[in-house]
Amino acid sequence: MPRGLRTTLGVVAFLLAWELLGRWSPWGYDVISTPSRIAVQYWRDADLYALHISATIRSAALGFLIGNAFAIVGALLFCRFPSVEAMFRGVNIALFAMPPIVIGPVLVLVFSGDWPQIVLAALIVYFPTMAAMLVGLRDIDPRLVDVVHLYGGKEFALTRFVRLRSSLPSLLAGLRVAASLAVLGAILGEFGSGVRWGLGTFLLGSLGEANPARLWGIGLSAAALAMAGYGLFDWIGTRIGGATTAVTLAAARLPDQIAGTGRIQPAHRVALLVVAFVLPFVLWKLLLVATGLSPIIAPGPVQTVLYLFVGPDAASERQIMLQALGQTLPVACLGLVCGLAAAFALAALSVVRPGLVKALLPGALVLQSTPLIAMVPIILLIFGRGVVASTVMAVLVVFFPAFVLLAQGFALVPRAARELVDVYGGGPGKQLALISIPFAAQYLSAAAKLVAPRALLGVMVAEWLLSGVGLGNLLNVSRGTLDYGTIWAGALISILISIAAYQSVGVVERMVRWTGAS
Amino acid sequence: MTASLVMGVEQKPERRDKPRDGIDLTIERVSKSFSGAGRTVQALTSIDLRIVRGSFVALIGPSGCGKSTLLRIIAGLEKPDAGVVLIRGQEPEKFRAGGELGIVFQDPALLPWRSVRRNIALPLQVLGQSVRANEARIAELIELVGLSGYAKALPGQLSGGMRQRVAIARALVTDPSFLLMDEPFGALDQILRRTMNLELQRIWMARQTTALMVTHSIDEAAFLADQVVVMHSAPGRIADIVDVPFSRPRAHDLFANAQFHAVCDRLAAALDAGREGRA
Repeated sequence: MPRGLRTTLGVVAFLLAWELLGRWSPWGYDVISTPSRIAVQYWRDADLYALHISATIRSAALGFLIGNAFAIVGALLFCRFPSVEAMFRGVNIALFAMPPIVIGPVLVLVFSGDWPQIVLAALIVYFPTMAAMLVGLRDIDPRLVDVVHLYGGKEFALTRFVRLRSSLPSLLAGLRVAASLAVLGAILGEFGSGVRWGLGTFLLGSLGEANPARLWGIGLSAAALAMAGYGLFDWIGTRIGGATTAVTLAAARLPDQIAGTGRIQPAHRVALLVVAFVLPFVLWKLLLVATGLSPIIAPGPVQTVLYLFVGPDAASERQIMLQALGQTLPVACLGLVCGLAAAFALAALSVVRPGLVKALLPGALVLQSTPLIAMVPIILLIFGRGVVASTVMAVLVVFFPAFVLLAQGFALVPRAARELVDVYGGGPGKQLALISIPFAAQYLSAAAKLVAPRALLGVMVAEWLLSGVGLGNLLNVSRGTLDYGTIWAGALISILISIAAYQSVGVVERMVRWTGAS
Repeated sequence: MTASLVMGVEQKPERRDKPRDGIDLTIERVSKSFSGAGRTVQALTSIDLRIVRGSFVALIGPSGCGKSTLLRIIAGLEKPDAGVVLIRGQEPEKFRAGGELGIVFQDPALLPWRSVRRNIALPLQVLGQSVRANEARIAELIELVGLSGYAKALPGQLSGGMRQRVAIARALVTDPSFLLMDEPFGALDQILRRTMNLELQRIWMARQTTALMVTHSIDEAAFLADQVVVMHSAPGRIADIVDVPFSRPRAHDLFANAQFHAVCDRLAAALDAGREGRA
């Protein structure tokens, strides 16, 4: 059977099964709805969708352009001047690890109109594009550097003739991820900004209605939008060539993987570390000075810290924060561990059943770039609004990217090492235990670093939209009551926790590492 | 010591425009050490070497004897800790400024997105020279290295040997008077390697450059070179210089020649002396 026909038949069979289950199973109407109901609802809402989707596309596209412009200029700058990269390390890690949803309410205080969504989309796309391009710019054949130098070419000639073009496949892989993230950023921004139009607004307004078909429609639209962006740059990437597995891995770069090589003096290194730590706060302060906002609405870094420690309300404020953290963090940790474990187990299956993982990988590749927002309606309909829903949300946002990375890690196990076990008569079990699992375990820490911030984000989104507890809810409530101090302090604490989670995986990694390579 | 290292063989084929005598390369007391991971390695110690204009010199030695480092120092890609390197009386950076130096590595290091023609043109672009004005020369070079009909091919469509020919053509595009090669055929199999050696001899004779080639292979050194410089390691130093007196052009029947084997044996013995010295 030709491949196209098989795919069509598969899709038809899937829709048919969904329709039948939706019509005759006990949870039909309330949970899984049916394709026909979703389609009919979509048709009725067509005018609304046109307005909401076009608003989201506009914000996402503008944010995509702005964020990627910064990312490309940043990558060029960081490649040319490693010390600048060292200075911006704090900013880069913060942008990588921040849960974007906490930035939304802050941006609403600083910007007006559609700009909070646009800026959030820009902030969210910056890191993956910058990291992918920087790796592409740096990762060139050292002999080519020699050739250019031999003919008197300096860094400019090297960038012009070698670096720029050779970074292109990597940049396109970054843009592919950025395109779907821009949609997520715009939608998360709409939650906080309360604009009239946008898929985020539509979702927020529909969560309370008993209309599962509409919720499904919104989730599918968000997913389709993100995949369209992903597909566009995937298509461009394949046209230009070089969109390989290696490039897919490059799109999941971590801040410490783009850290420059040590040509910097130890004394300078300490100074740069201090700058790296202080710079995010300086930029924060500068932004506030530039916008000329009242310190009551938009406090600077020092005031925000003082808010939690000085003043009559500081103690109760701390109490509220700690309580929210106590609700959020355990769920995020649980989701992270379960998601990683499931991803590792499924990826390990590739040793025993290579066909299965090969079949699942393309799906996971696409799903890892589906905005977690698209999952919210489904999770609400299936798991309700409790802790289970938050945990499932965290597991899902963790699982797909971790699985993609780990499956590729298992694929990199040297064949000779596996065949060695074969030669001595060891079966797949021995091979797994002795070779593949120890080898692929090194990718586990990379996967954990990549997804730890996402686990926190997943839980906070679920708290904000569904469960009404924890840090996500606290920020949503403070936004409603204009509790400026809590908005800023909550955002700062969330970002610091994300960075701490990221760094602590690094510490564990260094303790158990067996390989010299990073 | 230095005087004894002056080499020259007056059996070159006729040269058209370039002077036949004179010293092209002078290396005096060059040392280089690398430090890292808490220890310092003496890569080269007090190297003295002279190379006569128009000759073909091979540099042979065990891994880690610093022969590639020496080549990079001559190319001005690495600075020596001490000592002097002069090519025609000039420092390498100055000498190479007009494209007088060509270099070929073990890895062809081509730009995968550029056609053969445009890969060969890269040095001209870096030098800021017009590519269009040199189209005829590029076409001529493509023919010289035996790649006629492949001008528009991408490196990914070529075999390993063909890619290395592109790298050689790229090194020749500026019409250099000095050609440096760092194990240019190290990644090729023995059969292809011998063919490429013949090709290289033909190209070198046609272009009349001075050539310095780093190699691991005793065969290759004895087949191609007028002189073979034997290096020992730890620390990297010149142990011996062996003249190879066969007339040119040399053909593959040289491999069956008893005199050729005598030269190879002598080179092997010179290399072995270093190993015993270390033990």
